[in-house]
Amino acid sequence: MQILVVEDEEKLAGALQKGLEAEKHSVRVVHSGEEAFFLASTERFDLVLLDIMLPGRDGLDILRALRQKNSNLPVLILTSKDAVEDRVRGLKAGADDYLVKPFAFPELLARVEAIARRSNRTEVTSAMRLADLEMDTLRHSASREGHELTLTSREFELLEYLLRHQDRVVSREMLARDVWNETGRYTPLDNVIDVHIAHLRQKLDEPFGKRLLHTVRGVGFVLREEM
Amino acid sequence: MTWPRPKLVRTRLTLWYVFVLGALLVVFAASASFVLVWHMRAQLERQAVQDLETVEGLLYFSGDGQLRLNEEYHNHPESKLVQDRLLEVLSVDGMILYRNDRLGMRTIGGAPFTGEGVGGYSERSIHASDGTLVILASRQHLLQGYPILIRLAYSQKPIWNRLTHFLLILLLALPLTLAAAGFAGYMMANRALDPIGQMAQRAEQITTERLHDRLPIESNDELGHLARVFNQMLSRIEQSFEQLRRFTADASHELRTPLASIRSVGEVGLQKDASPEEYRDTIGSMLEEINRLTSLIDSLLTLSRADAGQIPMKLEVFPIAEIMEEAASLLDVLIEEKRLTFNFEGEKNALVRGDRLILRQAAVNILHNAVKFTPAGGSISARVICEGSCTLLSITDNGPGIATEHLTKVFDRFYRVDPARADENKGAGLGLSIAQWAARAHDGEIGLSTVPEGGCKFWIRLPLVSSNPAV
Repeated sequence: MQILVVEDEEKLAGALQKGLEAEKHSVRVVHSGEEAFFLASTERFDLVLLDIMLPGRDGLDILRALRQKNSNLPVLILTSKDAVEDRVRGLKAGADDYLVKPFAFPELLARVEAIARRSNRTEVTSAMRLADLEMDTLRHSASREGHELTLTSREFELLEYLLRHQDRVVSREMLARDVWNETGRYTPLDNVIDVHIAHLRQKLDEPFGKRLLHTVRGVGFVLREEM
Repeated sequence: MTWPRPKLVRTRLTLWYVFVLGALLVVFAASASFVLVWHMRAQLERQAVQDLETVEGLLYFSGDGQLRLNEEYHNHPESKLVQDRLLEVLSVDGMILYRNDRLGMRTIGGAPFTGEGVGGYSERSIHASDGTLVILASRQHLLQGYPILIRLAYSQKPIWNRLTHFLLILLLALPLTLAAAGFAGYMMANRALDPIGQMAQRAEQITTERLHDRLPIESNDELGHLARVFNQMLSRIEQSFEQLRRFTADASHELRTPLASIRSVGEVGLQKDASPEEYRDTIGSMLEEINRLTSLIDSLLTLSRADAGQIPMKLEVFPIAEIMEEAASLLDVLIEEKRLTFNFEGEKNALVRGDRLILRQAAVNILHNAVKFTPAGGSISARVICEGSCTLLSITDNGPGIATEHLTKVFDRFYRVDPARADENKGAGLGLSIAQWAARAHDGEIGLSTVPEGGCKFWIRLPLVSSNPAV
């Protein structure tokens, strides 16, 4: 994807660029609102990551101006204002999604992909596989090496989420929000998630030779086949 | 027109005082004048009657048929009021038979009016022919077989002279009295209000650095009451300040701890070359601290919004047991992990009104706290009971319990019963503060008590909407 990153904090902009480029996206970084507006109106992008607090022109201003010109360029706003009304203002101004700083990078990647999916309309499949792990969400079954796994419903949801995001690191926040449906950021679910992951690992990995579920320290978990 | 309003209470008090006193004095002067006039006229009338009787006896017809007054006998002492005696004698058909010297050529009253002086005395206030206001007393008398009308009149001038005199004296005395009263009133107001000035002066010196100062309470009167109220307010302010100060100190300590870890982990990681595996571990360790820091700041933000009343609440009515069940199902994996037994019983239909998520947060935090502090193999029980117009959700564990001195403090921010055990597993000490806020935001209460057989019991009391046994 062609992504335009509008962020005045250079360190963060650099990190975003590196991270997104590692995911095979092509990234342009600008540090001010005027530049962003100029680039977005002259070149073609698939997505804009827009910081709200910008020197010169405010991010929301840019967003409104963009929406007046080109109505369907996907925009994801980055804000350090956690207040509800700011989110509402951002979404009203035409943003497709928002992220509150400090955000976890896996979270950002997931949002970027969700926006890409929305524009590409890829089907959500019910049957998925990774190495010798097979899962069918319609039949509610999961197996490794042909052996059926007996999972609790929470473990099943957890595995499904990890499998849909295979090869991507999934943060605890994403799990809390998408698997546990906990919207409050202050509900401390970390212990609960860790225990469920440990249970899942016991059933998924321990009886079999190859480990698929990995912990990425400080970030979260990933389901992938290690070479 | 508006009067300029004096700034000081003492000036206003004094002005009011003087004004009221002045008004009273005017009323007094008016009624005193009235009584005085009335009294002097009554005296004059009495005099007139007496005089009339005397005059009757002194009148006689002389040899030539002229009416005369025997002046020699008329020597009874005249009061000052009756010096101006005017005498007129008429025949019943109005002919003037006699006038005394003082009357001269004037007449009093003209022709007799009907019934004048018949069967007693007629008294009236009239103007003489020259306009003098007089009191007239008249009486019909049969003198040597001949009917005559005797009219005696006294000028009212002395009465009015006296009244003027009286009012003049009052007019002179009034400003003096008012000035004296104003001065005395001002002194009294000063004396009464001085303590307020002193209190204000004292209060001015109480700054944030000297919040422990209090106003002196010298009496049991209204001002003493005011001082006491002020002092109570100061105590509350001092308490909140103290809380705030401790909170700021604790918060910066809590924020500094993860920062110190991040810094030293990073610095140590860069000290020597390491394998990618070791670097990954270093970065991961730093990220863990950053997550701690983030969730800490999130909690602080939640609390500060809650303090400012900025958290919107989505109110709905639901059975309180539901949030307990949800909290338990959220944490059941931790309960199993520690091989704790958990049971929940009580009124499943007790309804409360509130924000479901916020109340569930409170239940989760309390249950989580109980799970953390109950040793493996222990038990936790939750109950919902109804108490009058309230419903009580309680969570009891059989852990080690809590010392009495910590009972009231566990809900304070960053408070930990054992500060040495501040590892990440036990959290930052904000969970119970958030639970407390949640309870209070729903007009409820939160509390903690110890259980005799060990362990502690947390409870949340909320207003009951109703208990519906049909559902």
